[in-house]
Amino acid sequence: MQVFLQTLIGGLSLGAIYALVAMGFSLVYRTMGLVNFAHADVLMIGAYAASTFYMSTRLPFALAMVLAIAVTGLIGLFIERVLRPLENKDFTLMLIGTIGFGMVLQAVAVLIWGATGRAVRTPVGGAPLEFFGLRVRTYDLVVLAIAAAAVFLLVAFLQRTKMGAAMQAVAMDHEAATAVGIHVGRSNAIAFALGAGLAALAGGLVGPLLYVNPTMGGTIGIKGFAAAMLGGCGNIPGAIAGGFAIGVLDSFAAGHFQGYSELVVFLVFTVVIMIRPTGLFGETTVSRA
Amino acid sequence: MSTLLRHRNAPRLGTVAGFVLIAWLLPYTLGGYAIHVVDVALVFALLAIGMGLAMGIAGQINLAQIAFFGVSAYTTAILTTHNGLGFWPAAAVALLASALIGLLVGVPALRMQSHYLGIVTLGLALGFINWTTNAEIAGGAEGISAIPVPPMFGVDLSSEYLYYYLEVVVFALALAFALFVVRTGLGRRLMAMRDDPLAAGAVGAEIPLLRMTAFMLSSVFGGLAGVLYAGLIRYIAPDTFNIANMFLLLAMVVIGGRQSLVGCVVGAVGLTLIREQLVDYPTYAQLGFGIVVVLMVVFAPTGLAGVPTRLKALLDRRLGRTAERSVLREFRPYEAAGDQGVGDQGRETGDSRPMLEISGVAKQFRGLKALRDVSLTVERGEIRGIVGPNGSGKTTLFNIVSGFYRPSGGRVLIDGHVVSGSRPYRLSRHGLARTFQNLRLFGELSVRDNLLVALDRSRTYAIWKYALWPVGVWRQERRLHRQADDLLDRFGLTEFAAARPGSLPYGIQRRIEIARAMAGAPRLLLLDEPAAGLNGEEVRQLSEIVRSIRGSGVTVVLIEHNMGLVMSLCERVTVLANGSVIAEGTPAEVVADHAVIEAYLGDSAMADMPLPTTEVTS
Repeated sequence: MQVFLQTLIGGLSLGAIYALVAMGFSLVYRTMGLVNFAHADVLMIGAYAASTFYMSTRLPFALAMVLAIAVTGLIGLFIERVLRPLENKDFTLMLIGTIGFGMVLQAVAVLIWGATGRAVRTPVGGAPLEFFGLRVRTYDLVVLAIAAAAVFLLVAFLQRTKMGAAMQAVAMDHEAATAVGIHVGRSNAIAFALGAGLAALAGGLVGPLLYVNPTMGGTIGIKGFAAAMLGGCGNIPGAIAGGFAIGVLDSFAAGHFQGYSELVVFLVFTVVIMIRPTGLFGETTVSRA
Repeated sequence: MSTLLRHRNAPRLGTVAGFVLIAWLLPYTLGGYAIHVVDVALVFALLAIGMGLAMGIAGQINLAQIAFFGVSAYTTAILTTHNGLGFWPAAAVALLASALIGLLVGVPALRMQSHYLGIVTLGLALGFINWTTNAEIAGGAEGISAIPVPPMFGVDLSSEYLYYYLEVVVFALALAFALFVVRTGLGRRLMAMRDDPLAAGAVGAEIPLLRMTAFMLSSVFGGLAGVLYAGLIRYIAPDTFNIANMFLLLAMVVIGGRQSLVGCVVGAVGLTLIREQLVDYPTYAQLGFGIVVVLMVVFAPTGLAGVPTRLKALLDRRLGRTAERSVLREFRPYEAAGDQGVGDQGRETGDSRPMLEISGVAKQFRGLKALRDVSLTVERGEIRGIVGPNGSGKTTLFNIVSGFYRPSGGRVLIDGHVVSGSRPYRLSRHGLARTFQNLRLFGELSVRDNLLVALDRSRTYAIWKYALWPVGVWRQERRLHRQADDLLDRFGLTEFAAARPGSLPYGIQRRIEIARAMAGAPRLLLLDEPAAGLNGEEVRQLSEIVRSIRGSGVTVVLIEHNMGLVMSLCERVTVLANGSVIAEGTPAEVVADHAVIEAYLGDSAMADMPLPTTEVTS
C-alpha cells in the first residue's frame, strides 16, 4: 500500500505537466481543428527559455517563467500565421506542416543552446515533506499548484470574458462565428498563442524535474497528445484527467517494467484508445459535417 | 492490354531502357564513398515507397514506418548473429515479422483516423525504440555488429559496388510492383478510400480490410528496406530508427509528393544526397528540411511531383487557354428487361417478396429522435418517392438502409434478407447502391476511375493474385476497362473520362454519381435528391434515366423535393415528417392528404384545428 501510494504520488507532478501540454493542444485543436505536432517543440523552447532567464540571467523563477511564456506565445503567433491557409482544410497537411515546424524549432534550439542538454536547479529546495510516511517533494507541490492555477485562469478566461466566449463560438462553428462578426483569424491566433504559452509553462515547470535538451519534446509531447486523446480531443476537463492518467500510468510502468515503461505506456494507451476512440470524456471538436 | 497501355502514366519502353542503362553504368562513375551514399539512398527510397503507399495512396497516416524498417533490420541481425541462421533465411523471417507488425500497427486504423492514427502510430514507434535501447537481445544502445555478408552464388556482396546491383534489382522490382498495385484495382480502391471512405464503402470497398492491406504493404516495403540495410551496413543501432529519422522520412515523402510513388523516390534520393552534402552541418540540414516542408505544405501540397501539373495549369490560365467545353451526351437507355428481367428474377426466387421492407425502424441521436417507428414496403420494380420537409429524417432513413447508421430499433430487409446493421460494403455486394445528397465522388480520381472502383466487384482477399498471379489482375483490368467504356458511353460521359469530377459542372457530377451507382449492377437503387441543383432540361433527362434504370429491372427509391419530378415519376410516395411516416399512397392521394398539407404548410395554417400533440424535433 505504501509503495502503491508513493508511486501514485510520483506520477502526479508529471501528470500535471502532461495535463498542461494536453490542455494547450486541446485549446488549439478545438478552436481551429489544428493538430499541432510542433506543440512539443514549443514546450522544449519554453523550457530552454525559462532555464536561460532563470539560470543565466539570474531572474527569479516566476519572472523567468513569464518571459518564457511571452517568447513562446510570439512563436505560436508566428506558426499560426504561416499555417493559416491550411486551417479547417486538410488534416494531413496541417499535421505534416506542424511537424516541419517542429524540425525547425529543434534545429534552432541546437543552434542557440547547443546539442547537449542542461540540468536546471530546483527553485524551491529543502527536504521532502512527509505525510503519513509518504514523501512528497516540495517542488512537486509547486508544480501542482501552478498547474491548478493555470487551469483555473484558462477556464475563467474561456467562460467569463468576451474573447473567451468568442473562441468558444469559433470552436463550435467557425462559419457562423464569422457571420456574427467574430474575427476568426484573431481568435485563432489568440488560441494558438495561449496554447504555446501553456506549453512554455509546462516546459518551464518540467525543466527542474527532467533534463532540458533539444529532443525533450519528443516523449513529453507525444505523451501529452496521448493524454489529450485519452481525455477526448479538445475537451479541457478531459485533458486534465488524461494528463494525470498518463502520468500515473507512467509512474506505475516505470515501477514495474523499468526500462520498458515507455513501450508499456504506449501499448496500454493504444488499447484504451481503441476501446474508446473518442476518449473518456468524448471529443469536443470543430464541426466538420 | 491496349487499354492499359493507353494509361497516361504508363511507362514507355524507351524510358525504361534509359533508366536501366543509367542504373547499370552509374557505379562506373562513382567513388567508394559516393556508391555507399547511393546504396543508402536506395534503402530510403524503398522506405519512402512504403510510406507513400500508406499515406499518399491509402490516406492512412503512418508514423511507424521507421519501426517497420527497424523490426526487419533487427530480426535479420538477431537471427544471423544470435541464432546462427543464414542471411537469406533470416531475411525471409524478417520480412514476415515486419508484415506481421504492420498488421498489428494497422489494427488501430480500424477504429480511428487522421491525427489519432498519427499519434498512435508514433507512440508505437516510440515503444519500439524503447525496446531496442533496453532489450539485451537487441544489444541495447550498442546495437548489433558483425552481421554476416549476404552470400550470393560466389558474388562478393561486401563490395558496395556489387551490393549496389543487388539493391537496384530489388528496388526496381519493388517499384514496379508498387506502381502495378497503384494503377490497378487495389490501388484505385485504396485511393477511393483516401478520397471518401463512406462513398468507397457504399460502392463495395471493404474498408477495414483495405486499411490493413495499406499498412501491410507499407510494412513489407519497410521490411525490404530493413533487410537491405542490415546486409549493407552490417551493424545496427537504435539511433537509426529514432523519431528524427521518422520525420526526415516524412519530409522526403512530402517534398517529393506523397501521392506519387515516383515523387516519393525522388524525394528520398534527393534528401539523402543533400543530407550527405551537409553531413558536417546536420543542424542546418534539419533547419533547411523543416523550412522546406513548411513551405511545401503551404504552397505546393502535392510536392515536387505535383509541380509540373500546377505549372501547366498556371500557364494555361495566364495564356487564357481553357479546355474546350465538352457537352454532356445523351443517355443511352438500358435494354428493357421487361418480362425477362423482373419476371425471371421473381420466378427464379420463386416469390414476390418486396425488394425493400423497413419495419418499425427508429433512430435516436442522443436526445434527438430522428426516426420513430418508420415502416414502409417497396415492391420489386417500383419507383418509390420519399418526400417530407427538411429535417424530417429522409436522409437518416437512407443512411440506415445503406448501412451507414445502425438503427436504434426495428429492422430492414432487402429482398427478404435482414440487412439492418450490416456494413455498407456488404450491402453493396447484396445489390444495393446509392447516391448522396451532397455528391461524394472520389475527388482525386478521374471519372473513369470513379466508375472502375464501383465496377470492380472482386473481393479484397483476391489481392493474393497481386503476389502470385499478376496475369489474372491484368485480365480483370482489361475486362473492367471495357465495361467502363460501355458505362461511360451509356451515360454520355465518354468525353469527361479523364477529367477530375471536381472540375466538371454540377449537373455532370450528378450524372457521374448515378453512373457510379449503376456500375455495381444493383437490384435496389437509392437516390438522395438526384435533381437538386439541376436545370429543367437536366431534370427531364434524369427522369428518363431513372425510368430506364427501372425498366432494366432495378427498384428505385428516391428522396426528392422537386414535386413535379416526384409526381411524374413515382408510382407511390411516402411522406415523412418529424421522423414518422404521415402518409403513403399514389402521388395524387398524397398531395390531397390533410396531414401532408399540415406538415408542409406548418401548424399555424391550421391553428384553429385540433392537432395531435407532437414533439418538435426537427
